[in-house]
Amino acid sequence: MQSHFLIMAFFSLLVGAFFATLTRDTLREGLKAGALLTVTMVGVSLLIAYVMYFLPLGG
Amino acid sequence: MVDSRKVAIACVLAWLLPGAGHFYLGKRVKGMLFLGIIVVTFFTGLGLQGRVYLASAGKPLSYLATFANVALGPLDLIGREATYSRILYVFPSESDRAMYQDILERTRARILAVTHEYGTTFVLTAGLMNILLILDAFDIGIGRKR
Repeated sequence: MQSHFLIMAFFSLLVGAFFATLTRDTLREGLKAGALLTVTMVGVSLLIAYVMYFLPLGG
Repeated sequence: MVDSRKVAIACVLAWLLPGAGHFYLGKRVKGMLFLGIIVVTFFTGLGLQGRVYLASAGKPLSYLATFANVALGPLDLIGREATYSRILYVFPSESDRAMYQDILERTRARILAVTHEYGTTFVLTAGLMNILLILDAFDIGIGRKR
């Protein structure tokens, strides 16, 4: 697996699942929190990547 | 009344095997989920050519990274064996020429992989997750959290 996006999405999924399990007690709440965390992390990462696209590479 | 022996056992178990502290405290489903998540995170990291860190004199952050790795307990040993083919925690000094070169080569081989940074992030994150689990097991043990 060398796709930057897929690696980032998988990482977000694992971290989202971890914090959902840590902070929620029911399956329903856990799934909701995990999905929200995962989508937020992927979304914010894409947003940051989009903003960084306009920054000069340097060198 | 807090059973301090039970709390200590839960924390040690949590360090030895991710999720085991929760399992011991009766949160069996959570314990199994934590074990699965952390093991998958760790081995995905190694598979992506991530590495565990060695404490290196003059590089303070390497001590923090090594601490995050060691928080994984015995899993960290697998990471060290996979990365350096030996159990090593401190970067060898240049005076030990053969060892120094060998570790440098092994580190370089991983760093050159395209996915190295991702892999190392996965490995470090697995350790940081386990630190949170140990603290969570402590909180549950003393009754601060249900």
